[in-house]
Amino acid sequence: MRLPRLLRTTPFRLTLLFLALFASAASAFLAYIYVATAGEATRRTDQEIRREMRSLTDVYDRAGVDAVNQSLIERAASERPFLYLLMSPQEERISGSIEESPIDEFDGQPAWATFQVTDYDVQGREVKHPARGLQQRLDGGEILFVGADVGEDEAYVGKIVNALWGSVVLVIIVGIAGGVLVSRNVSRSMASLTDVVDRVRNGELGARATVRGTRDEFDELAQGLNEMLDRLERSMQGHKHAGDAIAHDLRSPLTRLRARLESAFLDVEAGKGDPQEALAQALTDTDGVLKTFGAVLSIARLQAAGQAPDPVVFDPAELGADIAELYEPLCEDKGIEFAAEFAKDLTVRGNREFLAQALANILDNAVKYTPAGGAIMLRVRRRSSGEVEFSVTDTGPGVPDGDRERVIQRFVRLENSRNEPGAGLGLSLVAAVAEAHGGRLELDEGPGKVGEMGPGLRVALILPRV
Amino acid sequence: MRILIVEDDLDAAGVMARGLTEAGHTCVTAADGEEGLVEARKAEGEFDVMIVDRMMPKMDGVQLVETIRREGDRTPVLFLSALGEVTDRVDGLQAGADDYLVKPYAFAELIARVEALARRRDTGSVQTLLRVGELEMDLIARTVHRQGKEIDLQPREFQLLEFMMRHAGQSVTRTMLLEKVWHYHFDPQTNVIDVHISRLRSKIDKGFDRPMLQTVRGAGYRLDA
Repeated sequence: MRLPRLLRTTPFRLTLLFLALFASAASAFLAYIYVATAGEATRRTDQEIRREMRSLTDVYDRAGVDAVNQSLIERAASERPFLYLLMSPQEERISGSIEESPIDEFDGQPAWATFQVTDYDVQGREVKHPARGLQQRLDGGEILFVGADVGEDEAYVGKIVNALWGSVVLVIIVGIAGGVLVSRNVSRSMASLTDVVDRVRNGELGARATVRGTRDEFDELAQGLNEMLDRLERSMQGHKHAGDAIAHDLRSPLTRLRARLESAFLDVEAGKGDPQEALAQALTDTDGVLKTFGAVLSIARLQAAGQAPDPVVFDPAELGADIAELYEPLCEDKGIEFAAEFAKDLTVRGNREFLAQALANILDNAVKYTPAGGAIMLRVRRRSSGEVEFSVTDTGPGVPDGDRERVIQRFVRLENSRNEPGAGLGLSLVAAVAEAHGGRLELDEGPGKVGEMGPGLRVALILPRV
Repeated sequence: MRILIVEDDLDAAGVMARGLTEAGHTCVTAADGEEGLVEARKAEGEFDVMIVDRMMPKMDGVQLVETIRREGDRTPVLFLSALGEVTDRVDGLQAGADDYLVKPYAFAELIARVEALARRRDTGSVQTLLRVGELEMDLIARTVHRQGKEIDLQPREFQLLEFMMRHAGQSVTRTMLLEKVWHYHFDPQTNVIDVHISRLRSKIDKGFDRPMLQTVRGAGYRLDA
């Protein structure tokens, strides 16, 4: 059998479970209250009966049977009278409010009895009340019975029990209603999340869960889901963009390559021209295509993995020095002043090979765009936040403020640098490496205008603290 | 040299064999891992180098190399693979390959690496002194002399020259230098390696009648005696 959806929800089931637990606890409590209250009422009645008996025996001892009779007359007129029966030593009724003793065989010892008294209500109907009494022989041989109508006591206990039952029923009703409400509420929150998941599953990657700002676990879940989807969407867009970019960046060199080969082929066929140069150029073009391809592949794999493979903990200054040593002669050869500065006692965690490649890419760019007479500075330092920063500052033309974000995007090359060699993937790969290490890439203005040069570019690869 | 090529892409294997034969080597080709294993066993270690494609039907390159290594065959192996990431490289080398070349490659790169591998096997004993023509390198004193004149080198220049001397008379590519001397496996966009070579060249060739460090067009560099 298929339960209604509401009954299948986790909160509703939990509510039922708690209700069951609560109802058992309440029943136990109820039983205890009943026993305690009912017992207490009987005890109190017995005490009152005893006190009354004592008071009457006092009267008897002091002033005899007549005084007792007199006292009974007075007492019978009180608001809530006891039941009395005064009998002769031969158990014959002398006076009293009941006709006969409920105790049939009286052996002279004080005896208790529980019995029914007959009364008449206002309409004259006969009603029976539960009653309880004590019978005792007086010093002069007469027998005195004192009893009390306990009907009111029992009615009182009964009211308490009814009230308790009522409250248990009320609690159960309120509990179920609360359960329904909570389940509805939770179901609604869940439904909005489930809805987002369903939409994403059906290909609508832009779907996002509503964050209501209540900062509860649903909000946390919604936020987490949204962040996950953001990341997924970025990655998907990245892949799509990469696809477009590959088509774009590989198509033109491939077209060029094809044209070159074709014209060389035609030349050779016509028996004129030297195909060697065309072939050499074709090889160079092929290498360019392969480099672009390799870079795209690296970026894709880094982004797909989401983290750098085989991370180790190492000293970033040592990596910086290693790379500085590799690039220093190149700068000098180009007439660029090269300086390096490394902070001591730092550690980073990551893939050394990828980080080295990232630094090499940044330096490749710096060398490419910095004119002779300029300067490049490689620096490794700790930021006040504890992050480790590798930075390369050059005195090249820099990147205009509005273009910096775009430069990091895959394949974007600024229009005026279209003629420079390079696949335009350099900084994209650096950004992918930074991201795979939980870090980021920052682009800033360099040292500013210096004569003909500047304003320069400062590229910082920032890694989280270990 | 006798070279075993184990490659399932028969066109690629054919081009490779033709090129290596033109370079003066003898080639045997096998179309998959199992066939390669048969050829390797038949030759009983007579091959100077084996070129093994990593991904092949029946038995892949890793399995093939692990098997022949287990059987005691120490023939140098050059892995060819379309998988070029660091981890792939490490896996390949751990299986027992001696070098790793990512597809597609320049043919000059392949020849340089094959010859470097074959050379490596020749020098079994530990040398403390390397000599190429007039050039002498003392690996313990860490000194270099040409015509008896001491040449002062930076540590990296020393390593670079050591590698060139160990592969004297043979082309080495820029990628090989970056890999074997600097231990990096990426392709720089700029000519970093060339600049290091020209610095080294200015130290060992300047002021002498004959240059030893040659540029090989389309391939890389070569140190001649």
